[in-house]
Amino acid sequence: MAVPALVLFSLFFLYPLSRGVWTSFTAWDGFSTPKFIGLANYKAFFQDSRALRDIQNTVLFALGSAPLLNIAGLLLALLLNRTFKARATVRSLLYLPAVISPMIMGSIWYLLLQPRRGLLAILLQQIGYEATSNWMLSGSSAMLVIVLVNVWQYAGMTMIIYLAGLQAIPIEHFEAAELEGASRGNIFRFIVLPQLTPALKINVITNIIGSLAVFDAILALTDGGPGYDTESLSIYIMRMSYGNKTGYSTAVALILFFIILIPVLFSLKFFNAKEKT
Amino acid sequence: MKKKTYLGKLSVLITLLVIVLLPLGAQGAKATQNKISYFSGRVETVEWDTQQVANFEKLNPTIKVEYEFQKDASNVIKVKLASGQAPDITTVVTQDFIDSGLFMDLSDQPFWNRILPSVKDLCTDLKTGKQYKVATNITMGGLFYNKQIFTELGLKDAQNWKEFVTNLEAVKKAYPNKTPLFLGGKDSWTLGHLIEFWAHGVAKQQLGIPGSRQAFLDNAVRWDEPNGIMENFAKALLELRDKHLINADAITATYDNQKEAFASGEAVMINQGMWVVGDIIKLNPNMETNIGFGPFPSVVAGLKPMVLSSEDSVYVVSATTKDADAVLTFLNYLFQPEVQKSFSETRGIPSAFVDVDANWSPIKDDATRLVNSYVNINFSTEAPSGLSVDDTGRLIQKLLHGDYASPLQFAQEYQKIWDSAYATSN
Repeated sequence: MAVPALVLFSLFFLYPLSRGVWTSFTAWDGFSTPKFIGLANYKAFFQDSRALRDIQNTVLFALGSAPLLNIAGLLLALLLNRTFKARATVRSLLYLPAVISPMIMGSIWYLLLQPRRGLLAILLQQIGYEATSNWMLSGSSAMLVIVLVNVWQYAGMTMIIYLAGLQAIPIEHFEAAELEGASRGNIFRFIVLPQLTPALKINVITNIIGSLAVFDAILALTDGGPGYDTESLSIYIMRMSYGNKTGYSTAVALILFFIILIPVLFSLKFFNAKEKT
Repeated sequence: MKKKTYLGKLSVLITLLVIVLLPLGAQGAKATQNKISYFSGRVETVEWDTQQVANFEKLNPTIKVEYEFQKDASNVIKVKLASGQAPDITTVVTQDFIDSGLFMDLSDQPFWNRILPSVKDLCTDLKTGKQYKVATNITMGGLFYNKQIFTELGLKDAQNWKEFVTNLEAVKKAYPNKTPLFLGGKDSWTLGHLIEFWAHGVAKQQLGIPGSRQAFLDNAVRWDEPNGIMENFAKALLELRDKHLINADAITATYDNQKEAFASGEAVMINQGMWVVGDIIKLNPNMETNIGFGPFPSVVAGLKPMVLSSEDSVYVVSATTKDADAVLTFLNYLFQPEVQKSFSETRGIPSAFVDVDANWSPIKDDATRLVNSYVNINFSTEAPSGLSVDDTGRLIQKLLHGDYASPLQFAQEYQKIWDSAYATSN
């Protein structure tokens, strides 16, 4: 019974994975014969200042993006978890950016934010304000823009998961708490938050994975520039692979896998413990 | 009831037979046809290629050309090569591929008699002296300028860096709201081309084309010498930035912004290749008679102005092709004078064939004047293949952003990435 599944698992997961691990120990340009070089690719990675900078950029992005996404998503879910006119329309509108390709979204925001020739600059000019600030000129402000655009795009998706969590909480719990005279803060802390743990777990983990593997938004907004100031590790992997360093880029991909795995495991452990209590 | 079941079974059987036999029949019909694959990365000729493949197949019904275009061809080809699916003909070539013996030796082909000797030289592999690639065209790169403004201000081709800066300053003074030289640095390859033209060009002028090709191949050019090519190049760019002769958003503006700025008259000069002309005219048809084309000055004193004049539109044939005759028949069809005339006019670049007379661009006269008056340089095809114009452009982004303590540090960084790419390729 388990044989077909095992065959498929081996063919589409174990074999590519083991090939990837083997490739990471080779000097390979992607087309000629690979040459075994042991751990040299891994050593080279930790000696490359650009690669270390990219880890820093990736982690910075994740530290900004993942918490903001959760805060924005939760706030929106709490706001929209009540009955009002056009509720479905508002929810759909908030979710809409999530279905657009991040590459397109990044390009749209780039066109909006360009100094002098961007739509925002033109609109500000119409009201007599000369907007010459170039947000993409320095690495830190460009990174801030990337984080905000990412939050703007995916807050709706996080919101939907929180909304599902909120709607799964039995109404009787709220009614009982209100009868007991519990404050809104206490209702949130002692009733909502504990019961939202599964939703929180999904959101935190998917946002950590998504943020640490960020690619498209950066590519469209800054292309990793100026220089490599906003380049993420995923973009670095792509560029190394296209720069005839296929073996090396595979090693970096495995390093990225562990960079993602560590916080994910910690989060899982934390939430599992939380769920048990 | 029984009859119905029988009929049902029969119809299922017939349907199955039709499904199984139809493709076999079709295959049988095509059994005598030779299939060859043609893989291209040239977005601007997709329609042209499709049309030519159809024309060829009409003339040669026994040969089927499977044409494939990929925007990201330089990377897709690696996947194809790695998976043993090398196309019979491709337009994507790197020195590494040639070194790996992936392409057929085309040295004995009769078409070389019709190709400009200078282009044949550029197609010659320095390591073996053979021709594994054939280029059908020439591309040129230099400074495009607004003719009307240049005439109005009495400006001429700058013969040296000082004259170039004076020209830009004259534009700035007469038109404070216009950008004298517009850079589209977000698309970092456009900045990388500054190194390719302005800096590598100096080495090519100093060493000559064959000498510089060999020197690049042997990693014999020192880019990090104090007061050398790269330091002077960095100083020159910083001078333009500090004198506000380039756009304030030079690092974040795009190639599209650059074209739009030039087409609209907002920018007076741009550093580009011929490929930009068609787009500028599309954006503003009035520019057709207003595009001037000039050389770029040397960033090192005492040298002549230069113009990029290099081989373009390259074809190679896979060394493992199963039907070399069919492949060569197709290539020879593409290389016919009337077909090449239409190719040249479609791409807007001159032909490398001596028997092709095409009306390829409104800047045709300027281009001829430049080729005859200034030092001609080629593309750095012998530079390490891992060193992309994208990477080198990023160094310029950092330079213009003020990330280097000195122009010499920029030169040292350039040497570092050059050496690293060289080590990977060798």
